[in-house]
Amino acid sequence: MPVKKNEAANEWLYAGKSIIFMYGSFSYWLFKDMFPYRQLGEQFIRTMLEGFATIMVGAVVQGLFLAWLGGYYGDRFGAYIWIGTATTFSIFRETSVLMAGILFAARVGTAFTVEIGSMSMSGQLDALRLMAVEPTQHIVIPRVLASVITLPILKAFSDGLAIFSTMVFLKMWFGVSFPIFLEHAFEFLKPSIITLSLIKAGIMGFFVALNACGLGYYFTGGAVELGKTTTKSTVINFLYVMIIDLIFGIIVELTGWGTV
Amino acid sequence: MIEVKNLYKSFGENDVLKGLYLTVEERKATVVIGRSGIGKSVLLRCISGLLRPDSGEIFIDGDDITKASRAKLLKIRSKIGMLFQEGALFDSLTVFENVAFPLAYHQLYSEVEIERKVMKYLEIVEMEKFVDAYPGELSGGMRRKVAIARAMILEPKYLFYDEPTSGLDPYSSAVVEIMIKKLQSELNITSLIVTHDIELTRFIADYIALLENGKITAMESRDMAFTEDSLVYEHFIKRRERIRAENGY
Ligand SMILES: Nc1ncnc2c1ncn2[C@@H]1O[C@H](COP(=O)(O)OP(=O)(O)O)[C@@H](O)[C@H]1O
Ligand SMILES: [Mg+2]
Repeated sequence: MPVKKNEAANEWLYAGKSIIFMYGSFSYWLFKDMFPYRQLGEQFIRTMLEGFATIMVGAVVQGLFLAWLGGYYGDRFGAYIWIGTATTFSIFRETSVLMAGILFAARVGTAFTVEIGSMSMSGQLDALRLMAVEPTQHIVIPRVLASVITLPILKAFSDGLAIFSTMVFLKMWFGVSFPIFLEHAFEFLKPSIITLSLIKAGIMGFFVALNACGLGYYFTGGAVELGKTTTKSTVINFLYVMIIDLIFGIIVELTGWGTV
Repeated sequence: MIEVKNLYKSFGENDVLKGLYLTVEERKATVVIGRSGIGKSVLLRCISGLLRPDSGEIFIDGDDITKASRAKLLKIRSKIGMLFQEGALFDSLTVFENVAFPLAYHQLYSEVEIERKVMKYLEIVEMEKFVDAYPGELSGGMRRKVAIARAMILEPKYLFYDEPTSGLDPYSSAVVEIMIKKLQSELNITSLIVTHDIELTRFIADYIALLENGKITAMESRDMAFTEDSLVYEHFIKRRERIRAENGY
């Protein structure tokens, strides 16, 4: 079947609307009577378990490329003693949170879209409504708030593992010993850099989860459409992660909170 | 009593309901028959307040749900239980948790009381042995029965069934049919069933309404509907023979 041009445009428009409506619905229901504590706990554990392995693999990959780049330029310019400074700085400020955000969107965000979309498809959301249970409150809010807590924690683990794997690979490939790496590694690292990157992770977790849930929540159609919606969830959330990162970058430069 | 008056609902260019009238009598089983994609589920979703119609009125015991506030809507909805197409059980919960869900969520009863009620309804649908199973582990017919128990647990006055036997083999269909009949006669439920299963209709209907082209085009009692010259018979049984004949069989 040939895809009509404006059909694709309409689908993206609908996706955009779903997300905006979800922002409204979320803010409305967040402060209404019952707060879903139990579901929040369940979703916290679930997002931690789902995100952990993927994000840790991402941390090791970061170690790989930072060690390679750092080692290469360190070699060329004879600046081994500054490799530690450069890599920890970039891990804490940019790469770790970017990687964690993208992998979280890919692993946990898409899972939310598929899960809530298929609940909608099979009538489970309607069943909840008919029992006077608001799906935003029962399904969406716990997932979003759990993600706000989970992503910074996973990001912190990722920081540690990324630095450790950079050290290991530098030693393996370029013979940079741990003491040399560590000598200046944390010299310029201000607490505000770490705090800001954790806040950034929390905000990424928030929007990734909220967008993913919104796309699932307002989903209509069958299996083919659910596949397309899931793709949109991934694309939109990747863009969100990049943009949030960019906005923080600008804030940091303007205020001087995160610069050396 | 449920009264639907001049109901319109469309999705974009697709006009699904076009001035539909329907009356559902208390303590009777009304069956709406119509072919797939004609708008049976849309009708049920409108009547249960899950979908807002474009225009028209829907009175449930005299209250118009199309104009009700949210609080009022919730109150009216508490009179309604629904068996969704395919059951719509929560995949992540066990059979027991599924049936207990509405009671537990709203903390209406103590744990002991909840357990007693859940077991009572699971026994009515003969699913008490499967309390710890997940919906994914059950057959279509079993899932349907658990969904009936879940719809019953809040003791609604009205019970809506969306194609209760679709996709079931004749044996499971018979079991579900008997369940519906039992609830109908023992608990005096007012049932509204949408289906295209003519055997189910013959077995449980008190009244039969024919949904065609966005409207109810005929409403007949069961005794009438299955006689040779009824409209329902004409549209639903003779049509099949006619289509066969047209194709030379
Ligand atoms: N949420 C929706 N958005 C757009 N179209 C819908 C929606 N729900 C139902 N429809 C359309 O309404 C028509 C009737 O659907 P439905 O009531 O599900 O039929 P059935 O009689 O098989 O239950 C179909 O053409 C369907 O595509
Ligand atoms: Mg249907």
